Amino acid sequence: MILRNLRRKLGIDTRQSDYTFQKDPRFGHIASARVADKWVKTTCGYCSVGCGMLIGIKDGKAVAARGNPEHPVNLGKLCPKGLSEHHILDAPGRATQPLLRKDGKLVPVSWDEALDTMVEKFRGVQERWGKDALGVVGTGQLLTEECYTLGKLVQLGFGTRNSDGNTTLCMASAVSGYKLSFGSDGPPGSYKDMETADVILLIGANIADNHPILCQRLERNRARGKDCTTVIAVDPRVTKTAMLSDIHLPVKPRSDIALLNGIAHILIRDGLINLEYIARHTTGFTQFASFVATFTPEHVAELTGLNEEQIIRVAHLYGRAKAAFIGWTMGVNHSSQGAVTVTAINNLALITGNIGRAGAAPFSITGQCNAMGTRETGFTSSLPGYRKFDNPKDREDLARLWNIDVDRIPTARGLAYPDIIEGAVSGSIKALWFIATNPVVSFPNYSVLEQALRSVEFLVVQDGFFPTPTSDFAHLVLPAAIWGEKEGTYTNSERRVSKANILVSPPGKARPDFDIFLDLASRLGVKAELYPNWTSTHDAFLEWQRVSSGRMCDYSNFTWQQIEDEGGLQWGGESLYTDGIFPTADGKAILHSVPCLPFIEQPNAEYDLILNTGRTVEHWHTRTKTSQVEMLNHMVPNAWLEMNPVDATRLELRPHDRVNVVSRRSSVRNLELRITGIVAPGQVFMPFHFSETNSNRVTLGGFDPISREPNFKQCAVLVEKYVKTLT
Amino acid sequence: MSLPLIERAEDGNSDGIVRMTLADLGRPFEAPPQVVTTLTPSLIPTRKLEEGEQYRFHFNVTKCIGCRSCEIACNEQNGNPADIMWRRIGEIEGGTYPDTQRHYLSMGCNHCLDAECIKGCPVDAYKKDPVTGIVLHSADACIGCQYCVWNCPYSVPQFNEARGVVGKCDMCHGRLTDGLEPACVNACPEAAIEIEIVNKTAWRVDYAAAESPGMPAAGLTISTTRITLPPNAAAKLERVDTGRIQQEHAHLSLVFMTTLIQAVTGSLILALLCKSIDPLFLTILLAITAVALNISIFHLGRPAYAWRALKMWRRSWLSREVLGFGLFFAALAATTAASWIVELPPQLCANLHLSSILRPDLLHFAPFILTALGWSAAFFGIAGTIASAFIYLVPARPAWDMSHTPIDFLLSAAFIGSTLPLALSLAIPHLAHLPFLHPLGIYAQPTNIPTWPAYLVAALWMLNHIIRLIRLAKSTVFEERATAALLNTSRLQPYVLALFAMPIAACISTLFGLFTCATLAAFAAVLLGRYLFFVSVVPLNMALTFTRGGSHS
Repeated sequence: MILRNLRRKLGIDTRQSDYTFQKDPRFGHIASARVADKWVKTTCGYCSVGCGMLIGIKDGKAVAARGNPEHPVNLGKLCPKGLSEHHILDAPGRATQPLLRKDGKLVPVSWDEALDTMVEKFRGVQERWGKDALGVVGTGQLLTEECYTLGKLVQLGFGTRNSDGNTTLCMASAVSGYKLSFGSDGPPGSYKDMETADVILLIGANIADNHPILCQRLERNRARGKDCTTVIAVDPRVTKTAMLSDIHLPVKPRSDIALLNGIAHILIRDGLINLEYIARHTTGFTQFASFVATFTPEHVAELTGLNEEQIIRVAHLYGRAKAAFIGWTMGVNHSSQGAVTVTAINNLALITGNIGRAGAAPFSITGQCNAMGTRETGFTSSLPGYRKFDNPKDREDLARLWNIDVDRIPTARGLAYPDIIEGAVSGSIKALWFIATNPVVSFPNYSVLEQALRSVEFLVVQDGFFPTPTSDFAHLVLPAAIWGEKEGTYTNSERRVSKANILVSPPGKARPDFDIFLDLASRLGVKAELYPNWTSTHDAFLEWQRVSSGRMCDYSNFTWQQIEDEGGLQWGGESLYTDGIFPTADGKAILHSVPCLPFIEQPNAEYDLILNTGRTVEHWHTRTKTSQVEMLNHMVPNAWLEMNPVDATRLELRPHDRVNVVSRRSSVRNLELRITGIVAPGQVFMPFHFSETNSNRVTLGGFDPISREPNFKQCAVLVEKYVKTLT
Repeated sequence: MSLPLIERAEDGNSDGIVRMTLADLGRPFEAPPQVVTTLTPSLIPTRKLEEGEQYRFHFNVTKCIGCRSCEIACNEQNGNPADIMWRRIGEIEGGTYPDTQRHYLSMGCNHCLDAECIKGCPVDAYKKDPVTGIVLHSADACIGCQYCVWNCPYSVPQFNEARGVVGKCDMCHGRLTDGLEPACVNACPEAAIEIEIVNKTAWRVDYAAAESPGMPAAGLTISTTRITLPPNAAAKLERVDTGRIQQEHAHLSLVFMTTLIQAVTGSLILALLCKSIDPLFLTILLAITAVALNISIFHLGRPAYAWRALKMWRRSWLSREVLGFGLFFAALAATTAASWIVELPPQLCANLHLSSILRPDLLHFAPFILTALGWSAAFFGIAGTIASAFIYLVPARPAWDMSHTPIDFLLSAAFIGSTLPLALSLAIPHLAHLPFLHPLGIYAQPTNIPTWPAYLVAALWMLNHIIRLIRLAKSTVFEERATAALLNTSRLQPYVLALFAMPIAACISTLFGLFTCATLAAFAAVLLGRYLFFVSVVPLNMALTFTRGGSHS
């Protein structure tokens, strides 16, 4: 080492060998370190776009990531997170051994001790406080096979109904909205629709930052010819996506319902609706038409801050389109009115017949790589296979498939994620199990969450990384395998089931979540009953095929091998509801009348700014993964606060000033200020990824009454200059 | 250079995984081979270069969504660490809400027609490839002097600390040769980056398409990158990274090296003018020079190859500096040796068998030879100092590229040179009494060095700094104003105050005959000035992001 340093000091290029190039047989000239022995197909583990990848493996290590040119989702392209995804596998922050808190400190223990303790503690809590005193929060990061396995373990093994996913922080409103309008969850369209639609209306969806690989669909659509498509972005912030749109509607926060109702009003008024489709496939039109009659362009202009011409123009574009597509993400979902906003979107599609055919769909673009898998298999807000708790036939169905007594299947869902946290504070939840999620950063109104985490008797955090902000509170930490270390399927936003494969072995003693679940089942004595002869996730897939067979999300038509060979397969085909028959009682979709209510916490003289939160392309969620990728972290190492120059002048703030964002609940301190016309006067924006400057210290504990999704997007704050103190 | 891509595409039998994106983002090789008649243009040229042509990047601002995949792909391609990015993204923004515009620049090397990196390189590590026009850098030839880092107006070359050499974008030359897209082109999900062919003569006449908000003027080096902008971009868009100007590297070794060599040069000249050179005085100067040159060698990323720096003396000011100071050292050493020999007592000469050399007739010419050697050393010292100053006259670093730089270098030589001999004239008589010097029969010469130059030069030196500061603050060039602003920050302000306090201290010390104090104050002033010179320069650069992520500084 000394010799090496000396040689380096003298000017010998000691690192020369790190900078040599070789010819990869498949991908050509590249840095030698990136030349692989073999390339393994897999699916990206970050977002719900579901890009196909090829990961290069050399000497048992993942050395390179490439988009799979054969994969229909991304045609060889990846975003910066995907392109560097192999770096997370051997990151220094991986969790490698079970840790149990003893005398206040987390100390390494054996898996036996860890899982025995967990079972003992959970059982103890359940014996003393009742079965439902255990709360479980799963994730859209798991494989579909694991979600399915976990659902059975929690509901039938541990016997608690209080199980939910972190997906409730993400797309629960889309699920609820689809259920309200169509009688079932299931995004009706495909990405391909974005290539053929004449109008693409993106509401609260900053795909350029959050789903960048979808943007090439817009580009391909435009390449069809001049003026053959119009991309319209509805967003209070001039996002990257707004800037690449043809029309940007800078609506006031949370006025999207007014806009949607206003568009419906104009469509009905100007006869741009499909009366035949309405008559044959919907119910509630008369009531709906009279409801939106009050949403005149003048009224809507006032509510949204847009001008009447803009609203009429967009309504006419949508109404006259041969095929119109509406895509939305968190701008819609992250709201206490999220579920009904989704129905307002569905209304537009239904009254114009823009559903069930190429280019036409109301389409929720989801968040996590396998949010859809949790929706379909999850035993949380519904029963596996989009079955309903309150439907006796569905319950009997499952009991028969599982060969269990029907009474063991609950007749109503348990607590949703926010209510589990609430329960922990109020004392009804006494033990918590978090799987691959980091609520300390991702859950709104941190102070309540902190109280919940401190209140429970036993808290288990199962994650691929350690430490995480949440594991700081844990009594037991279970090290889990992550993407690239386990085999199974992910389902993306367009219902495409893609195969995720094993690239490397998990580090240290980390184990796949599936193995942990099965091991727990053995210790609970339910393995033989719930998972007869199961050894691998493939066994879970085979059972899930039987359970989903004949359901809307039917996985029985394709094998793992077929999924892999085809680059993923969509259940339900490219469009759902092609026949206009919906899974409601009468087969018709329902038009809902959705009032436009002001968001919960309006600004006042003291808290005079509206805080909006969101993401940036370089990072993923709470940065447990992307903070481990040096390149991504180097690009955006810290959060910032965007403020309009008008407000900055008023507050006498300058670019790069350090500021505090203060709400009625708490404050985010020492944020870098970015003064920019991207945000409107009166509004500020910050990314939520950073635990160091956690936006959820100030966000609101307000939740959608139907979907239970938090209202992350609007709360009232004040911004003040940060002053360094000695504390 | 072969471009087998088109052939491979047309034969239709190639592995579908051969990486190629069509400009319309269509799927390559979708059509069965027999019906391939016309191909949508690919993102790299499909014909061979003709005489007078070269490759260049085309970047389409209107297509870029700022996803930064190109940056990651580049780092992965070249195996660079996270803080070295050969391709960088910048943001440019403008307008008022809601008519706000924000666009992105994605830039690698611009493979300029008049590349400054090539001209300045002292070791000829850069080549403009005669076939492709790609500006190639050889890590093997590089000695890590980082002069190219200073010379490039786009801050493209970046120093790799761990290796001791510079590196830069080579347009993935190795991939292009095989008919494959460069990593950035290949990674872009929007087909915003492509390689195209440019006619060099035509481009030299009209390179307006290389200009963009957020990019330094293309004319400095005639950047070949073509940039497609949205309408009215120039009027609306501005860079967003100007609010956070960061200090540059202090290059402490260069601070000391330049100061010491200038001190020696100035002292030698004053002593020659006053005809008061003696062996001890020269020996001390020689020792200082030796220290300075060693410091400068270890400033390099690869000191062992410092000798290569002489190679490009016809072109590079850095080579000329090395040459000048090398000869300076040799001449000074010769002068010193000669002065010792001349002064040696006869007995010692005899013992050392030097009598045959030091014949009386030769000794007759000794003072003349000594003076000639002394003035030749002074000449090389001045020449080296001027060459040294010219290193910093680079358009890419506006605050350096001012007449004040050579003036400062010469005045600094004079400033220390007017005080150091005074101090030494006091010290040498004491040194001469050191016991181990007795056999050499040294005696201190009476000196007649005046003190008035010290006052005069100190005043001129300060005046030069004051005028420079005023000119920086009032400049129309952003980077120069930014330098003035940096000097005005709470971090640097104390240094600036000290910068002016020191010459005054030197004058007062001289007045009271405290020549050692005066010398120390003069050294402190010049060292401070040089430190500020290095840390406060704001280089030209492409616009970077708000957080300046991806910048190497």
